[in-house]
Amino acid sequence: MSLLIQCPKCRAWLLEGIFNQPEFSPCPACGTPLQIEVFPAIFRKTGSGQSGEMILVEGESSCFYHPQKKAVRPCDGCGRFLCALCDCELHGQHFCPACLEAGRTKGKIKSLDNQRTLYDNIALALAIYPMLIFYFTLITAPMALFVAIRYWKSPQSILHRTKIRYIAAANIALLQISGWTAFFIILATRR
Amino acid sequence: MPEMRYQRLTRARARSTFAAAFTSRSSLWLGDDHLLSVDSTGYSETYKRFYFRDIQAIVITETNRRTIWNGVLILPPVFALVGLMMSAFPLRQNVGAAIAWSIIATIFLVPLLINNLLGSTCTSQLSTAVQIEKLPSLSRVRQTRKVLEKIRPLVTAAQGALTAEEVSERMRETVRRTPNATLPSPAAEPSGVPPILS
Repeated sequence: MSLLIQCPKCRAWLLEGIFNQPEFSPCPACGTPLQIEVFPAIFRKTGSGQSGEMILVEGESSCFYHPQKKAVRPCDGCGRFLCALCDCELHGQHFCPACLEAGRTKGKIKSLDNQRTLYDNIALALAIYPMLIFYFTLITAPMALFVAIRYWKSPQSILHRTKIRYIAAANIALLQISGWTAFFIILATRR
Repeated sequence: MPEMRYQRLTRARARSTFAAAFTSRSSLWLGDDHLLSVDSTGYSETYKRFYFRDIQAIVITETNRRTIWNGVLILPPVFALVGLMMSAFPLRQNVGAAIAWSIIATIFLVPLLINNLLGSTCTSQLSTAVQIEKLPSLSRVRQTRKVLEKIRPLVTAAQGALTAEEVSERMRETVRRTPNATLPSPAAEPSGVPPILS
């Protein structure tokens, strides 16, 4: 990515006179009204990646993943020695790529948590939408109840949410199941 | 570890206007040290975090989407008003039809009114060192400026502030220091790309 900023419409490079203005300023090339807020990070130099130093003296601690490279620190997750190449810093902590991946997939590192399934919404949808064609509820009501119970303790959205959807889904599903049970009992007793 | 509390900055908005029912909806939330962009399909959510220390620029582009929507939304009320006129004049006894047309006109006037009350439209994008992310939930100028007012002090606290003059000065300096080979000069760009403007 360039240090400079492009007009989103005409892609002209913008150099000056248009940044950090309180109102819209026209793009000098296409005239599109732009308001561009620039922060100091744009001028920050990006550090070059490190490849890890080779071991020169025999007996020196080596990287777990690259035995020929010098270890610079242990992983904060598993304690394995890491070279500069394998050392991944995250909010002041140092992880090896394996711990980073494990932390992401198992949701142990919150800042790497980038996807969640909303089981409460799924349970509620299973309980409500099939009511449009009521016969479907014979199958979907137990499914909704199962999802509500099975995923009750699973992580919800990282945005604050209550369990009200689970409760609503379970109650609606129970009502539907009760209705079907009553229907079958009546059907059976009529004969 | 307790989950971070987020403050809502914008309501969810579809990424694409004409596929609102089928695409994910995007909203923006404020965390302690980052902005959180949430894309939700209703059954799953995808998160993107933009740490205040990493935000390089926020670009707001004014668009004419409000005018276009005005053009679209004005048609049903106009038809309803024509219907109202035809049922009301010459003074016929068709009061029921006149009431029905008035209700239809009012119903269709509401979105038109909302479209204008929300103010002018815009598109917004946020730049970091490695990405340019469109923020579909920031689609109205007034709302975008409100959000910008909220996050500016936080980004400034993380990075420091720059005045317009400082930005221009540092941009010029950056261009001077950058070797010609890596500069986006007209010669280096593929044909059709406009030149650098200064």
